[in-house]
Amino acid sequence: MTGTMNFPDVTQLAVPLFIAAILAELGWIVWKGKGGRYETRDALTSLIMGAGSVASGILLGFLAWGFFMWLWALTPLDLGSSVGVILVCFILDDLRYYWVHRFGHRIRWVWASHVNHHSSQHYNLTTALRQTWTGTFSLVMLVRAPLVLLGFHPAIILLVGGINLIYQFWIHTEAIDKMPRWFESVMNTPSHHRVHHGRNARYLDVNYAGVFIIWDKMFGTFVPEQAHDRPDYGLVHNIGTFNPLRVAFHEWLGLFRDATQPDLTLKQRLKYAFAPPGYSHDASRDTSAIIKAKHLVRHPEDSNTPGFQ
Amino acid sequence: MPLYILLLLVIGGISMIALLLHRLGKSRLTVLSTPSASHAWNRHFPDDEVYSVILAENGHAAYVETSGGPGLLWSFGADTVGRHLQDYRLSQAPDHLKVVFHDFTAPQVILRLNDKERPRWQQKLAPR
Repeated sequence: MTGTMNFPDVTQLAVPLFIAAILAELGWIVWKGKGGRYETRDALTSLIMGAGSVASGILLGFLAWGFFMWLWALTPLDLGSSVGVILVCFILDDLRYYWVHRFGHRIRWVWASHVNHHSSQHYNLTTALRQTWTGTFSLVMLVRAPLVLLGFHPAIILLVGGINLIYQFWIHTEAIDKMPRWFESVMNTPSHHRVHHGRNARYLDVNYAGVFIIWDKMFGTFVPEQAHDRPDYGLVHNIGTFNPLRVAFHEWLGLFRDATQPDLTLKQRLKYAFAPPGYSHDASRDTSAIIKAKHLVRHPEDSNTPGFQ
Repeated sequence: MPLYILLLLVIGGISMIALLLHRLGKSRLTVLSTPSASHAWNRHFPDDEVYSVILAENGHAAYVETSGGPGLLWSFGADTVGRHLQDYRLSQAPDHLKVVFHDFTAPQVILRLNDKERPRWQQKLAPR
């Protein structure tokens, strides 16, 4: 199809909201003495990662846009831009997000881009902005191709993707415990997403949802937050640097070092790039499945409880 | 949004939040005790059994002997980071020891130790 369509970049428009909400959350924590933790360099790193992510989008966004417009020229379908079409696109794009996010935790090539979002040991609104600089290289834009081919204009797809990202901002907080039950059952919430950021064995590789938690419930990856096992934030192997360059690129470097070491078979090299994080040819590292199994050896009482079923 | 307004918002917002956090005392390093260092090590390395902990007097680092080998735990902002003592070098300066890990994710740790504790740490940290 041909034709132009323009929507504002909602993520950029939301920047004042992000700043105001961070100040409000910080004020709440200081006033109440609970509801989360802040640390200067951690927050600064997260904010710089967020700014770098916007810059990366401005500099490299044309690649994804060019790809989508190429697909748009191929497809004979055009669903238009009615409110109903935008709503359907939003829901389908959230399903797309679920799978991209799941790939982001299960395929090291994609994890190399996503890992920085999990690299803080804190969980507050600045953590939401600790976004990737290298999303373009992970090639997850390919997963949006079906939406374009179905007739959703690329501008609508980018609009709903931006709204999806803005929705996910507010759930990165400890200041909100639980939302009303009906909301918790359908929507992604601070509680559900705290679980996703937990490095506890129980919480590894679960709750991938963006806006609607129903995808996790449908695909068997939902684990509710457990009062007796509060999420411990960060990576299984925490990084010891606040340097944004190291945060942005450390896993890519690790991946290439691993895949290019001598005396490996081609299959082993490919596995270092595309197997789940934690793969090693000599079993010297642990994947999330092994971490969960080891946890159950130490804590057999956790067998058949959420996250270990 | 015009680029210059976006830049002003981003740079101004980041600077304001960082300054506010610093003024609120959120830049302080966590201070470890022997039990908290042991607990923190197990948080990072749940497979390890901690045999002993030598705590720096300022509470910002701990040398740990574990079933997985010796390790170094240090304050990382309000949190901690730990690494087993493998593939590293030690350098000395008049007021500190520097452990340089060959690890892109944790490049170096500066240990500020007093004159009394420094020889013991030097001996413990000497690469074997």
